[in-house]
Amino acid sequence: MKLNTRDLIAGGLLLGLAIIGLWLNTDHTLGTARRMGPGYMPMLAFWILGGLGASVMLLGLFNGPNPLDKWTKLEVIAVPAAVVAFFLVYLVARGAGAPGWYPLGFALFAACVTVSMAEGWRPIGLVHAGMATFGLMLEVFGLMVALAATLTVAAFAEKTHSVKGVIGMIIFLCVLCWWVFIRELDIRVPLWPTFLVQ
Amino acid sequence: MGDLITNLGLGFQVALSLDNLLFALLGCVIGTAIGVLPGIGPVATISLLLPITFGQPATTAIIMLAGIYYGAQYGGSTTAILLNLPGEVSSVVTTLEGYKMARNGRAGAALATAALGSFFAGTVSTILVAASGPLLTQVALSFGPADYFSLMLLGLIISAVLAQGSVTKAIGMVVLGVSLGLVGTDVQTGQQRFTFGIPELSDGIGFVSIAMGMFGIAEIILNLERPESRNVLSSKVGSLFLTRAEFMRATPAVLRGTALGSVLGILPGGGAALAAFGSYMLERKVSKYRHEFGTGAIEGVAGPEAANNAASQTSFIPLLTLGIPANAVMALMVGALIIQGIQPGPRMVEAQPDLFWGLIASMWVGNLMLLIINLPMIGIWVKLLQVPYKYLYPSILIFCAIGVYSLNNNVFDVYQTLFFGLFGYFCSKVKLEAAPMLIGFVLGPMMEEHLRRAMLLSRGDPMVFVERPISGTLLAIGAIALGAMLLPGLRKGKDKALAE
Repeated sequence: MKLNTRDLIAGGLLLGLAIIGLWLNTDHTLGTARRMGPGYMPMLAFWILGGLGASVMLLGLFNGPNPLDKWTKLEVIAVPAAVVAFFLVYLVARGAGAPGWYPLGFALFAACVTVSMAEGWRPIGLVHAGMATFGLMLEVFGLMVALAATLTVAAFAEKTHSVKGVIGMIIFLCVLCWWVFIRELDIRVPLWPTFLVQ
Repeated sequence: MGDLITNLGLGFQVALSLDNLLFALLGCVIGTAIGVLPGIGPVATISLLLPITFGQPATTAIIMLAGIYYGAQYGGSTTAILLNLPGEVSSVVTTLEGYKMARNGRAGAALATAALGSFFAGTVSTILVAASGPLLTQVALSFGPADYFSLMLLGLIISAVLAQGSVTKAIGMVVLGVSLGLVGTDVQTGQQRFTFGIPELSDGIGFVSIAMGMFGIAEIILNLERPESRNVLSSKVGSLFLTRAEFMRATPAVLRGTALGSVLGILPGGGAALAAFGSYMLERKVSKYRHEFGTGAIEGVAGPEAANNAASQTSFIPLLTLGIPANAVMALMVGALIIQGIQPGPRMVEAQPDLFWGLIASMWVGNLMLLIINLPMIGIWVKLLQVPYKYLYPSILIFCAIGVYSLNNNVFDVYQTLFFGLFGYFCSKVKLEAAPMLIGFVLGPMMEEHLRRAMLLSRGDPMVFVERPISGTLLAIGAIALGAMLLPGLRKGKDKALAE
């Protein structure tokens, strides 16, 4: 057997999404071919998607070998750990009464940080953790603090960063963002921590 | 002909207004910069800057975004020639002969050839866009819903066929994009589809989030995983002037490149990279100096550079006349127009003459600017390469974050982008291409509307798609294109052409 692992996973992804889509689509009226309801086009799209996913998987059984990159043990453990962290933190944050999108933000942050414990996942984990930090901090702490925090988190994704370099980068980018987004484009975001300004 | 001149007159009036000139210049400068820098391409940059353009008038916004796209083709060639480092995919072939020329001490000549060839190609293809635009628009206005549906289907098929790697996977990504486009409120019944009760999703998944996540964020991570290999050698540029012999050799190559690039640019899924590859292949076959290829043949710089610039201009033709994006960058342009409240399509020429002719005129003005930005100031651009990627990626990240937040002042968009960043990374690991998905996402809602309308008019008879002559022809072409990919010989040829 010449297994093409990448194709098997890719096809499985497409097929899985199609099945979920078809299942969700049972809520929508199909209508007739003449008068299509809201469910008609999704039905067509998901059936085609499923068919393509299945054929990618089928072809993947023969057109290999194309294995995935080797994962270290830590990398293997980190992925399910991140999924667990996501749901755990989400439920805890919801239970603690965090409003709006904060539970989602905390959960994403926790998952991204968890996955970064494996060195191979550090770029993807910490860049996304930086993004989550931004979402979590922006509305309360203001743009400047959120930027500084985001940049600090994201800087850990690259090994060669130095403390001095990161500080310089934060100052430079804070000034640049202030100039572009606040002065020139005048977007509506709090600039400084809201609890200090009031 | 008289009409064309009047219209171009209007176009230049728009393009030469101070604001539009400034933003065209800004676009060209940004485009050149990202063209020089490896690791960030026009798709990521344009999606990054989309939110910033919302405050501007539509014409100004599109002029700037277009400038980024064709500016990147110029910038990419600079580093390809001087450092053997393609700044963009479209300039990968330029490294083959361009860098060899630089090693032979003819770096200046190679740069001049690239810039002048691009400028010539840009001029010709701009005229082509101006001349063919209104004609095609007339044709497009006679299209019924069934014809539109088939046209979009054809566009999606060809963009999948021409995509890198497996055709089945590319079509899969197209359909996935179409499916994602269905999320949100159904236009005809007002029913919420696939929104999971999230109010933010009732307007559909954020287009900017998908583009930024899949092209901006995911790209950052892939670049971080690759070890940085940028040895900035300050090779001497030397004289920018071509010798008479070089000029005589470059001219026919530029002409061939322009012609080939113009054609390949119009094709859905085509665009700059494909045109450059095609032209290099062509030159290697037809040139009288083919034995010099691989050692610094000027044809190998002149042809591809002309072709990639011609293609990046003519790929605006399907967008401006039919409202159909030919590649991922054009899909972003559709997004930009829709957010501005303009539905791209054949009515745009009539309804938005300023935008249509202003954009065309600005392309030529922009090409002229690029010539000036690039040739005398090459030293500055090479210096830009000394900015290490470790300072670049955090900047990209925060520009993404702020930009996407400012769309609706809602952190949900930030998390949505984060999700598509993860998804995009995963997709690239299992070799699923993001570009077809983006095109499918943009075309999905339009296809559904036309499909519904066509089936209503035909009283539920699907034969309408085959019986109408325009629609039938388009579908036949699509079927042939798909069938051709089943032939092993052709498929191997395509893989070989795209793999290098």
